[in-house]
Amino acid sequence: MKVEDKNWYKVFKIALPLCMSYVPIGLACGILLHSAGFNILFVGLLSILVFSGGAQFLIASMLVTQAPLLQVLLMLFFLEMRYALLSASLSPYLKKEPLPFLVYFSASMNDENYAINYLKFATDKKWNGHRAVMVNHFSLLFWTVSNMIGSTIGNLIHFDVNLVNFTLTALFGYMLVMQVKNLLSIIVSGLSMVLSVWLIIAMKSTMGLVVATLATSFVGFLVEHLLEGKHKPLLLRSLRLRRRHESFRHLPKETTDDHE
Amino acid sequence: MSDLDYLILIVLAALVAFVPRVVPLLYFSKRQIPEWFNEWMKYIPVALFTALIAKDVFVTANYTYNSKNLTEILSTILVFIVAAKTKSMGITVVVGLVAIIAFAALF
Repeated sequence: MKVEDKNWYKVFKIALPLCMSYVPIGLACGILLHSAGFNILFVGLLSILVFSGGAQFLIASMLVTQAPLLQVLLMLFFLEMRYALLSASLSPYLKKEPLPFLVYFSASMNDENYAINYLKFATDKKWNGHRAVMVNHFSLLFWTVSNMIGSTIGNLIHFDVNLVNFTLTALFGYMLVMQVKNLLSIIVSGLSMVLSVWLIIAMKSTMGLVVATLATSFVGFLVEHLLEGKHKPLLLRSLRLRRRHESFRHLPKETTDDHE
Repeated sequence: MSDLDYLILIVLAALVAFVPRVVPLLYFSKRQIPEWFNEWMKYIPVALFTALIAKDVFVTANYTYNSKNLTEILSTILVFIVAAKTKSMGITVVVGLVAIIAFAALF
């Protein structure tokens, strides 16, 4: 792939923390897939094509328990439905891109690189689809290689998958804090916590997560809409938790709104 | 399972993973989206990241309530504090991993 020299290095530095956090999780995932009967090539293929930690953990654990193919696929589909949310919320930033690019981009999009790209699109005016797809590919590379290494070292290493998985939780924690703009977003977050736990358990699937996300984000939108026009409403006052990006200083006055 | 079975599974899993990613992007990027929809989508990240964290902390792999989660709760709170103070993804992830291992050893 041909890219401007300095550009890829800049993007790589942005993607590096994510790439590093993929190493332990990828290793763990590769080990699990190996125990589910996947050879190194299949692990590599699966990591490139599916590129989803949750999905790959699910495949491994369901195959170990001899679940039928259709059941595995159905579970996967419910698990992966959340990607529809990610791609819908990124779509305003990728309007100018041609159709083949969108197909190419979405193939390598997942929760974590979405989180980075969303944050960059919202705060960095110079961020574009080209850089976003680079973040996707750096993370894909680290993920796939870690998985393949994991599958070859197989049973040599033993570690608690739950502990390793917390790396991703921490990553989402960071992303969440960076998204907090005002009191209203904290309320939306609290609401989402209660509703998602309840719905995931009630629906016995991560579809609950999708429904809770759609519902609570809609509540956030409604409340913001109701408060519009009021003079400096408390709920919308900026909390200034967001990362101060370099290009931020050159921007005109910060507002509570991300989008143009 | 034969090699062919694995290949079929991989291809079908890829399809199931790809369709939800690509369809909304194609649909919404090429149409005039009403302003209210964009305003709604603005709240998706906050709600989604919270839901993903809540799932990890409060729900077990078998979709039951996870009551033995003091380790996760404490580590998550620490993650929030470190993220807000440092605004660094790298530091936050490392502190989170160290915290969960340390708390798991303690309790």
